[in-house]
Amino acid sequence: MALIDRVESPPAERTSLVQFLIARPEFGPFVLLVLEIVVFNALSPAFLSALNISNLLAFVPELGMLALGMTMLMTAGEFDLSVGSVFGFTPIVMWTLYNEGVTGLEAAFIISLLLAVLIGAVNGFMVTRLKIPSFLVTLGMLLVVRGTALYITDGFPQSRWTTDSPLLGILVGDFRIGEIRIFNSLLWFIAFSIILGYILMLSRAGNWIQAAGGNPNSARARGVRVDRTKIMLFILTAVISAWAGITSSIRVATANPNSGTGYELEVIAMVVIGGTALTGGRGTIIGTLLGVFILRVMRNGINFTDVPGLAYNIFIGGIILGMMALHSWLERRHHAGT
Amino acid sequence: MMINELVRMHHINKYFGRVQALNDVSLSVRKQEIVGLLGDNGAGKSTLIKILSGALRADSGEITMHGKRVDIRNTTDAIKMGIETIYQDSALVPQLSIARNIFLGREPTRMFDLMDQQKMNDVASKLLKQVGISKNIPPTTPVSALSGGERQAVSIARALYFESELIILDEPTNNLGVEETQGVLRFVRNARDTGHSCILIAHNIYHVFQVVDRIVVLRRGKTVADDIDPKKTTIEAVEHVITGMSL
Repeated sequence: MALIDRVESPPAERTSLVQFLIARPEFGPFVLLVLEIVVFNALSPAFLSALNISNLLAFVPELGMLALGMTMLMTAGEFDLSVGSVFGFTPIVMWTLYNEGVTGLEAAFIISLLLAVLIGAVNGFMVTRLKIPSFLVTLGMLLVVRGTALYITDGFPQSRWTTDSPLLGILVGDFRIGEIRIFNSLLWFIAFSIILGYILMLSRAGNWIQAAGGNPNSARARGVRVDRTKIMLFILTAVISAWAGITSSIRVATANPNSGTGYELEVIAMVVIGGTALTGGRGTIIGTLLGVFILRVMRNGINFTDVPGLAYNIFIGGIILGMMALHSWLERRHHAGT
Repeated sequence: MMINELVRMHHINKYFGRVQALNDVSLSVRKQEIVGLLGDNGAGKSTLIKILSGALRADSGEITMHGKRVDIRNTTDAIKMGIETIYQDSALVPQLSIARNIFLGREPTRMFDLMDQQKMNDVASKLLKQVGISKNIPPTTPVSALSGGERQAVSIARALYFESELIILDEPTNNLGVEETQGVLRFVRNARDTGHSCILIAHNIYHVFQVVDRIVVLRRGKTVADDIDPKKTTIEAVEHVITGMSL
């Protein structure tokens, strides 16, 4: 009898801070990340060297931004397989426009982001208005967008022309903290995390996002504009993917029409490892940040061990299965008896 | 038109294919009146209620509120007009907290869309006590962790706070324990005193007899009685009206 239990032990009064932290869905991923860092550090001192940390932090924001968008979308009960193709396509558009002398770089940047808005809006429209599952809609969009990127470049990378536009510095300029090299993209990533974390947990829009994923019919009955909320999130996911792709193209000084291939699944893995539910209703930005680092640290750290790089996916798969089992166990234990 | 009339459904017809679920049914509810809607399985109670709450549309007939004709196209319309329906499996979002559920769609906000969670939690705590949950359940508890009766209480709290004029309870005591059932019935009595009207649908005639002012009986899609006073009749007599067997 859950009712009687509750009378005897009101959770608000008996739970200590430690118990509170352990009960958080982010606790499991946090322990795993700490464990990874401890193990890799024990195996190789080079793992925590300034150079390696710089490398790790250079790439984390790019996949991480995709994961932030995906977290918001998955909380609302949808997901987007086209993020990797948008990541590859939008920088192609930006650099092609600029290299061909069609527009200045800033205008090309804006046009690329507007294209992402359009892609997201089409995804959202087809999912909410035509009631086609997001799996199919965004799979189709993946192929259309990737195909367009390959078509307009003939499959060749667009190299980055020299430019004195301040945009490059704003997006990906770098500075040093001690010996660690930090790109501005990390600051953007932190800013996006804070803004989206705020929206998801504290704002009214966040309440609507969670309700849209948790019980769309009752949300609709309460006057929540579920379809509009989802369309906005598809647009957000596409735009943040474009931002990440453009960031990446500037950092590596080339825009490859194939870049971002396969990112969609890695990103979804990061998000669910962090504790966001694949079925919607529950999402956590902090969990996603942990999930991003868990997979990036694993990929990076494995280079310092005797494990062959080709075995990397075995560990990733193992982590996903292990974390899913943990989340499911915590969920069942949490709701035992109700 | 009766004085003090809140809602009237006039000559409602509803077909499902060739089956006529409602045949020229009329139903009225006065202000601060509790109406018990009874009938056997398939009598049309749920269909009638779904039309009033916006979940279904009638094929013909009209609905008036305060004597004025209204068009209830969907559940959002009904809620806006002050008609709140509480189903057995209450329409809550299990992952969200009690307070977030109560205010869903009407969250108080400050700058930058920031929800006023302090206010939401304070109001939710007070409401929970008001609907008879004396146990110390924090308003930040997710609904998924609540029992069936507690979930009903949250739905009821929501209807109370947003001052719905008419609260429809569809089998609110199904699957509830004795204590929780008494809580719901107590709420229905209180609702009248605080100016609300209710329609109560329940299989259990004993529960209906305890709280309602007037009993309406449907049988095979038709109204067979609409002015039974529970104080002047017996449960057995009403059972005969429901089943159609003469005394």
